Amino acid sequence: MSEFSLIEAHDLAVRYPDGELALYNVNFRISGPTFMAIIGPNGSGKSTLLKTALGMLKPVRGTMRVLGYDTVTEKKYIRREIRYVPQRDRIQLTVPMKVKDIVLMGRLLKKRPPRFASSKDKDLARQALRKVNMDELWNRPFMELSGGQRQRVLVARALASEGSILMLDEPLAGTDAESQSLIVEVLGEYHRENEVSVVMVTHDLNPIHTFVRNVLLLKNTLIGVGTPCDMMDLELLVKVYGPSAKVVEYAGHRYCVTHDVGVDRHD
Amino acid sequence: MIDTIDALLEILSAPFVQRAILGAFLVAIVASTSGTFLVFRGLSFMTSGVAHAALGGAALGLFLQHSGILPWFDPILGALLFSVLVALITGYAGEKGIAEKMEVAVGVSFALSMSIAVLLMYYIPPTQVPQIWGYLIGDILLLNDLDLLLLAETAAILLFLTVLFNKEFVYVSVDMDGATAHGLNTRAYHYLMLITSALAIAFATKAVGAILVYAIMVAPAAASNELIHSVRGVLFSVFVIALLSEMLGLLASFTIQASPSAIAGIIAALSYVIALQIRHFRDRTTDTEIPDSHEIEDLFTIMENGGSEGVHHH
Repeated sequence: MSEFSLIEAHDLAVRYPDGELALYNVNFRISGPTFMAIIGPNGSGKSTLLKTALGMLKPVRGTMRVLGYDTVTEKKYIRREIRYVPQRDRIQLTVPMKVKDIVLMGRLLKKRPPRFASSKDKDLARQALRKVNMDELWNRPFMELSGGQRQRVLVARALASEGSILMLDEPLAGTDAESQSLIVEVLGEYHRENEVSVVMVTHDLNPIHTFVRNVLLLKNTLIGVGTPCDMMDLELLVKVYGPSAKVVEYAGHRYCVTHDVGVDRHD
Repeated sequence: MIDTIDALLEILSAPFVQRAILGAFLVAIVASTSGTFLVFRGLSFMTSGVAHAALGGAALGLFLQHSGILPWFDPILGALLFSVLVALITGYAGEKGIAEKMEVAVGVSFALSMSIAVLLMYYIPPTQVPQIWGYLIGDILLLNDLDLLLLAETAAILLFLTVLFNKEFVYVSVDMDGATAHGLNTRAYHYLMLITSALAIAFATKAVGAILVYAIMVAPAAASNELIHSVRGVLFSVFVIALLSEMLGLLASFTIQASPSAIAGIIAALSYVIALQIRHFRDRTTDTEIPDSHEIEDLFTIMENGGSEGVHHH
């Protein structure tokens, strides 16, 4: 398995829609395939970095490349390789979608109109739902699910789709413990077995730190890049999260305590 | 009995009645293929916004004709132009997929075009002012061949777009970011949906009148969306409710002295109220059971004893 440049940024600066500077002076290069986490406190530019990588936000300075493609001029090549899990509350519940309709989106969005679901599409959608323990809810209205269940369905949508990069925006925020560990394990396993890179934005490194190989620590600029153990460093965390941050060691693992809740939006 | 059937057949043989029935059928198609997606996007307000914007456009058309600036400029052209303008402003505000921003944009462009209409009315000869409404407000019992033709074309185009792109319209409504990231040209489908809807609203208003369009575009879709759990089911249900309301409206207008549009509007609105009631009843019966007082007391005992005695049964 040969290494390649998964994501790189050169002197990157990006603004929020309201004009405030979300990211500045960001430089890094991550090789793939990998399982990486983008962490940092609320409003540190994590989701902005992800959206810039997807070509949905334009840098005000510098460049970003995904798989070697420029995120502004070559975004359509990037999007062919992307499976994306947005923040859960971005899913509008005004449309009567069933669980199967949501998961099939992952298949059908990679096709051309009229995007009919073949039996192969349905099989792959079912398999993906089985991975997250949701296949019995195939015909259930998406709206009637709990938060954790919705999140699992969205992960299944990404698993059923095609493309070498899975990008997830806070997939663990506000979900129950069962859904959290299920999602983390499924993603770790999928990454190992399929040479698919996983890029996850999260406010909480603890549930995933045994799976993650690269961590970007952000606070509007790049504070640190390295392995999870490198980032579980009290000095770094205090710098980012303030003096209340702690590193706890338990059963041979380090955990960070940051008093941070997760989801934030800048519409 | 035979007398009633004879009377009904006689009514049905009248050309204006036949046109009205055909018009009702076409409007039901427009409601199903356009109104449904507007309700999905949380844009039910756009119907009245566009219809009023069309009024401003018609005023501009009349002004341009009478002032001699553009004598060839038909008011209906102005109406269509302003409708598209509302769709563009709304679309621009909602490029990120946020329904609340689009509702605000509809409100603003609605106010803008009404202001333009009132401003221009001052410069149009007073005798011509009622004509502004005339260009816009049709009546289902007064449909002429041109109205029917335009309505049929609108319905055919909407039907074609819905068959071809219903998934895209749904995906743009459900998850704009996700659809974009997976490679869909969401911006194109976003504008396609809004512009065709705006044109459809303008044409339908011209043909059958504003009251019927307001009622038929929104209420059946909102009612169906409360009760039906599939997109295809909602599309079909909207068509049925819309057609039924219109037919009952026409029937009522032959038996009692009443505007068919008003009756149809009342029936359509009632369908929404009934759907809400059914939904409410359904939610109540499927709610999880509330633990009774014994169980809560048990829970307190367990908590007080630090859970050491475990769960006991009663």
